[in-house]
Amino acid sequence: MQSGSVQYKIRRMKDLDDSTLVRRALQADPESFGELCRRYYHSLVAIADSVLLDHHLAEDAAQETLAAACRELDRLKTPERFGPWIASICRNVARDMRRDSQKQRRCVERSLADDGPGEPDDHWRGERDDERRVVLAEALARLPEPLREVLFLRFYNEMSYRQMAQVLGATEQVIDGRIRRAKKKLAILLKNAGFGR
Amino acid sequence: MRQNDDNRWLNPLLEQHIGREPGEFDFAAWTRDHPDEARLLHRGYEHTGRNTKTRTLVVWRILMESKVTRYSAVAVVLLALTLVLLNPFGGSGNGGVVLADVQKKVAAIETMILRGTKTFTYPGEPDRVFEFDGTKCKFDLLKYHSTRHGLVEEGYVEGQLFYRITLNIPQKQTLILFPKYRKYLKFASMDALAKAMEIFGTPNSIVSLLLGGNHERLGREEIDGIEAEVFAFQDTEPFAPIKELLPKTVFDLQAFKGKVWIGIDEQLPVRVEGDLTIGKSFMTMFRDLNLHEVNTFSDYNIELDEAVFDTTPPEDYTELTLTDILKFVPTQAKAGAAALGIFPVGLVVWRKRNKVKRAKALQRQ
Repeated sequence: MQSGSVQYKIRRMKDLDDSTLVRRALQADPESFGELCRRYYHSLVAIADSVLLDHHLAEDAAQETLAAACRELDRLKTPERFGPWIASICRNVARDMRRDSQKQRRCVERSLADDGPGEPDDHWRGERDDERRVVLAEALARLPEPLREVLFLRFYNEMSYRQMAQVLGATEQVIDGRIRRAKKKLAILLKNAGFGR
Repeated sequence: MRQNDDNRWLNPLLEQHIGREPGEFDFAAWTRDHPDEARLLHRGYEHTGRNTKTRTLVVWRILMESKVTRYSAVAVVLLALTLVLLNPFGGSGNGGVVLADVQKKVAAIETMILRGTKTFTYPGEPDRVFEFDGTKCKFDLLKYHSTRHGLVEEGYVEGQLFYRITLNIPQKQTLILFPKYRKYLKFASMDALAKAMEIFGTPNSIVSLLLGGNHERLGREEIDGIEAEVFAFQDTEPFAPIKELLPKTVFDLQAFKGKVWIGIDEQLPVRVEGDLTIGKSFMTMFRDLNLHEVNTFSDYNIELDEAVFDTTPPEDYTELTLTDILKFVPTQAKAGAAALGIFPVGLVVWRKRNKVKRAKALQRQ
């Protein structure tokens, strides 16, 4: 018969809850932090994407979020709430990136204005060729951030309500309500732009 | 009902716009891109010293699990030993000093006396000496070294003996005294530690350890009336055995550089200077500190009485116990009993403060 400690050791990392992984990571067990990264990475990309509306930047933001979380891990007071904690870090990281991105954008626009009239940079304008995509992106951008966030979590990698609840620290009912409200607002915005007819 | 209708066209639109086929997260790649964070994960968070609760728990765990008191004391002893003969003895030169000859001569040394200074300062502030319990941690040193018997290091502040470390190699015993507080710490060396002490305690072994170190010949200089050749070295390689032996949690040696002056006539070391950067670790009570040490080699192969290396504590001294230290750690972690890298000094402060508290409480009554 195996002892308790042996049984504990052979438990797969994936079976461990967040608080156990956090505690192990604090005790010089890098792989535990690796498991937390794997567990939340896609949620972080989705959250960052909902702020930045740029998938590539969102991936960078998610990576930076993990680094920030790593540095601050010993300040996490309730390890069982690792998901909501890292999500809030991610929002801040993404907002900072958005501010930097907007600054750069203004610089480029000023520079273009100085050079006289010309074609706007497609990089900043989004995909002009696909007007529907642009309209959808603009409509999403007009949603309040919490509503946009649940849509990105739900539709990025088809995340379940349970997974979303874990990262948002809210009940599945609350999340369901938020998704409904988000879709309702989005539908109104898109219908005004000619969608859904 | 209307929302269900909307969902029919909205959901595919959102799936197309937001949906992705995300790849697996590559933790190995992430650690390569974030080396500082990876290091933090590998060494644990006890070094950060930010979260008092976490730090206290971790300190408690270390104390209970890794016999850190002994480790810390041994780290101090090893440090003292290493600086006794820290010279670059590798290869042969074409100047006035032939290092191979120096190596042979040092190997023949059985006893020596060294004098010097040991100064703990704050990083980036070389003039700001670390102060502990009203004592500036700038010590005048006197070291006795015997290949057969061991090592004694005495640290004086304004002529008063502040600490005395005695390592007795044959007995495998270490005694650390703090005369100001009438306290002692004595422990039998664990096998691995005893072996390491023996390695560092013999000139031959030290020479072997240093052979791999990088050094640079700086030229000639007259020091204390002796014509000497100066060598600089900047390497932590000689400390590798310490690093292997002691967890980083206990002693985090981050950088080392030094100079050695070797007399041209006698082909023996005259003076050695070392600068060590020690990171937040148990030994420095989670402080970053720099140590500058100067050793002047004054007497070789002189008669040293075996009694010098006696590890019997004086009768009027009391022992520092683990219980005392454990009580002390949570409240004084920031105070820094790190001047010597040993807990016991700080313990006295804790006790003194408790006495003051008790006295104040009595006054109130």
